[in-house]
Amino acid sequence: MAVYRRSNRTRYVLAVLVLAALTLVTIDARSNGSGVLSDIRTKVSDVFSPLQRATHSTLQPIGNFLTGALDYGSLRSENQRLRNEVASLQQQSVESAAEQAAAQQVLAEQHLPFVGSIPTVTAAIIDNGSSNFETSVTIDKGTSSGVAAGQPVVDANGLVGSVLSAGSHTAVVVLLTDPTFAVGVQLPGSNIGTAEGIGMVDPMRVTVDSTSLAPPKVKVGQDLVTSGLNFEKFPPDIPVGRVTAASASPGQSEPDISLAPLVNLQQLSFVQVLMWAPES
Amino acid sequence: MSTHLLARIRIGMLIFFAILVQTTLGSDLRVTHVAPDLMVLLAICAGMEGGTEAGAWVGFWCGLTADMFLTATPVGLSALTYCLIGAATGALRAGFLQERRALIPVVAVLGTAVSVLLFVTIGDVLGQSQLLAAGRSWLIRVVVVESAWAAVLSIPVSIIYQWAARGSAGTERLGTTRGSVIGERLPAK
Repeated sequence: MAVYRRSNRTRYVLAVLVLAALTLVTIDARSNGSGVLSDIRTKVSDVFSPLQRATHSTLQPIGNFLTGALDYGSLRSENQRLRNEVASLQQQSVESAAEQAAAQQVLAEQHLPFVGSIPTVTAAIIDNGSSNFETSVTIDKGTSSGVAAGQPVVDANGLVGSVLSAGSHTAVVVLLTDPTFAVGVQLPGSNIGTAEGIGMVDPMRVTVDSTSLAPPKVKVGQDLVTSGLNFEKFPPDIPVGRVTAASASPGQSEPDISLAPLVNLQQLSFVQVLMWAPES
Repeated sequence: MSTHLLARIRIGMLIFFAILVQTTLGSDLRVTHVAPDLMVLLAICAGMEGGTEAGAWVGFWCGLTADMFLTATPVGLSALTYCLIGAATGALRAGFLQERRALIPVVAVLGTAVSVLLFVTIGDVLGQSQLLAAGRSWLIRVVVVESAWAAVLSIPVSIIYQWAARGSAGTERLGTTRGSVIGERLPAK
């Protein structure tokens, strides 16, 4: 026969841990991202970054293999698309080798045409973000390289996001699909809109800001770029996304616009941080 | 050095290794954009192997470690969620679940599903409304895929945890006696 004895110790431990967690949540939520706990987070990320970098490069082949295995269907179609592209490029290269060489030279000189004269810092992604409820990545450059919170981040295709916080050797970049992310975009007819992230898999949503003008006639497939207005967090003319849907509901003058990012956020390896602040 | 202390050190190292894998390899394992969560799985395995107290402790530290690498949610939210999940798993294990390896994937699936929902619910209550911004379909997708990943990874993770926790107070307690939901059932004197 067995008798039951309530374990006060277990209850006590559980209560203490729950209270400790709640206290941490309260302190961090009240400090609004600038308190002791945020500093600890940044420090931990800094200390951890060399290990993360080493582990990332060690496990990269396994990760690539697993990504390939889990994404076999799209890899096949991607492979086919690339074969077609190579065939097309080969044809073009035969036809206009001289023109291509000149174009490549111009591209190499200009690097990213939409960046212009803004200085950049190249950074590698060391953490692609393993949480399912936030869309951010960690890069291997921090304040020691001139990276600061708020700076825009791009890659060869366009806008990636902006620096959320920076430690001395790492920085967290919030991606443009994050629900907290918003960027001003140029719309046809001198209209201005705001593109907002609504999650990892959904396209961005664009709302039209300037209502005094005629409603913008946005076409599907059109690329939208940053507006770069005063106090805007991003310089002008950085490609943001391609319009995937634009339709006005009955009785609504402004269209509902969906925007797919031009950047492949699932396969980011290197990004450029723009040394740019709104006042500059 | 006592066996209990050695077990704690091994578990600490396991948590460290798990977060390293989670933050570097985790995103490569995304299926339909959803990544597995090794940290909650570790908390569940701790509950299954060590009971309520071990589940709570390991869950708390796993969550706190995970919180250090999150940016959008306050520090302590994962710690709170994983602590509760670890403790609940341990309580179930000590209460009426038998020590069968086949049960581990089932518990891992349920525990992971509950942990996602609990994380979002507690987060929402604490003002983290962005957790629900991606919509209900995203939440369902995360629950389903993360749980499926938990089923796949639960056996290897539980074997590794069992190795790390051998000689710990929790495994000794569960190995010798069976407990009630929050207490312990002791043999009559």
